Amino acid sequence: MIKHHPSTALLTDYTVGSLSVAPAVSVTTHLKYCQQCRDSVGSLKQLGGALLCEAEPAQISSDLLTQTLDRLDADEGEMALAEGASEVHEFELSDELKGIPEYLNQFLPRNGLNWRKLSSSVTVAPISVGETRYELALHKICAGGQTPVHDHNGVEYTVVLKGSFSDEDGMYNEGDFLTREPGDVHRPFATQHEDCICLSVLEAPIRLKGLGRVLNPFMRFQPS
Amino acid sequence: MVMMAKQPKQRSTMALIEGQDWNALLQRVGSHQDKDAFSALFAHFAPLLKGFLMKGSNLDPEQAEELVQETMIKVWRKAPSYSSAQAAASTWMYTIARNTRIDWLRKHAKISQQTDELIAEDLFDENEESSPFTSLIQTRNSKNIKDHLGDLPQEQLQVLTLMYFQGKSGQEVADELSIPLGTVKSRVRLALQKLKLKLSPNGESTEAYAQ
Repeated sequence: MIKHHPSTALLTDYTVGSLSVAPAVSVTTHLKYCQQCRDSVGSLKQLGGALLCEAEPAQISSDLLTQTLDRLDADEGEMALAEGASEVHEFELSDELKGIPEYLNQFLPRNGLNWRKLSSSVTVAPISVGETRYELALHKICAGGQTPVHDHNGVEYTVVLKGSFSDEDGMYNEGDFLTREPGDVHRPFATQHEDCICLSVLEAPIRLKGLGRVLNPFMRFQPS
Repeated sequence: MVMMAKQPKQRSTMALIEGQDWNALLQRVGSHQDKDAFSALFAHFAPLLKGFLMKGSNLDPEQAEELVQETMIKVWRKAPSYSSAQAAASTWMYTIARNTRIDWLRKHAKISQQTDELIAEDLFDENEESSPFTSLIQTRNSKNIKDHLGDLPQEQLQVLTLMYFQGKSGQEVADELSIPLGTVKSRVRLALQKLKLKLSPNGESTEAYAQ
């Protein structure tokens, strides 16, 4: 039973497409576990549809439909050619990762994860999604292991993929989504009998204010 | 494809067009590759999409039309996977337009490196199955939105519009309007309450909004 969810504010940012990649990946991952939040996002998208219908219609060039239909015809030929060529991104997951949402496969490095030790009981494997504002990674806490006490310079999102862990505030199981705000201090530890694997998104320690937005906008570039 | 089917199909497509039954028309596009149905959807939605995309954005009319065309082509390609039981045509179109804009903006930003192959559709990965309650929730939402959208105070509608039409985050809206993020969040929260949108009662969500 999932008890910890993204805030409605985060789901709204997610739905309108304003989150950058790494946080969006963490929300989608949570949705794979959580019907409730899938329905919430569905509701928020419905609002998008309603607002679209309320938009003030803008005059369309008279030949746009014809052009579009022409492209569809051209497409049909191409599509037929491409049929069957679609590449399935399939690889063998290590045993410890079996059972994590299939969705994540597309982001995992094909030549395997590069686990490195963070402390005696925590290892981390970075996942690159081509952005620098957030770090995306898998964290593994050994059964019974404890992470070093840490605080956050930036916001951190965590999705429990396998196993469970606890901290001062509670216990988190598969699918749970946690938000840690800057300044929160906590010390998570995994439950005794199994390793815990989490997906984590950490806002880069160096916060690029203002300028950062120009340098690293995944989705928010405004063409001039 | 099947000549015999042509007559009755045409008639009923006409009836759907007259009845402005967008969901059924979209389904027809998917099941029959029906270009009349597609053209009718285009005539209705293309101007809305263009208006939607241009509102307050820096897109010029040509860029907006490029995006409208991209969106409609994806609508055509993806229509076979559309099911009116899962979403209204407008919701579905909104989602495709959003994804198209995200990809287009990224392409034109030309600064993302390794993830060029990552497209919004894969990022959101929305081929989820629906719960037994999904269509019930949607029916209720749709009525509530219709009943209450017109009653939203201007300031709430403005915030929603900036977020949805321009894909801005709460923080970006706050920056643009020079108001605190908390105010943006509370306007969104009040609007969603007023619209009686069915959102999961997340323990933390109301607090997170109220912060």
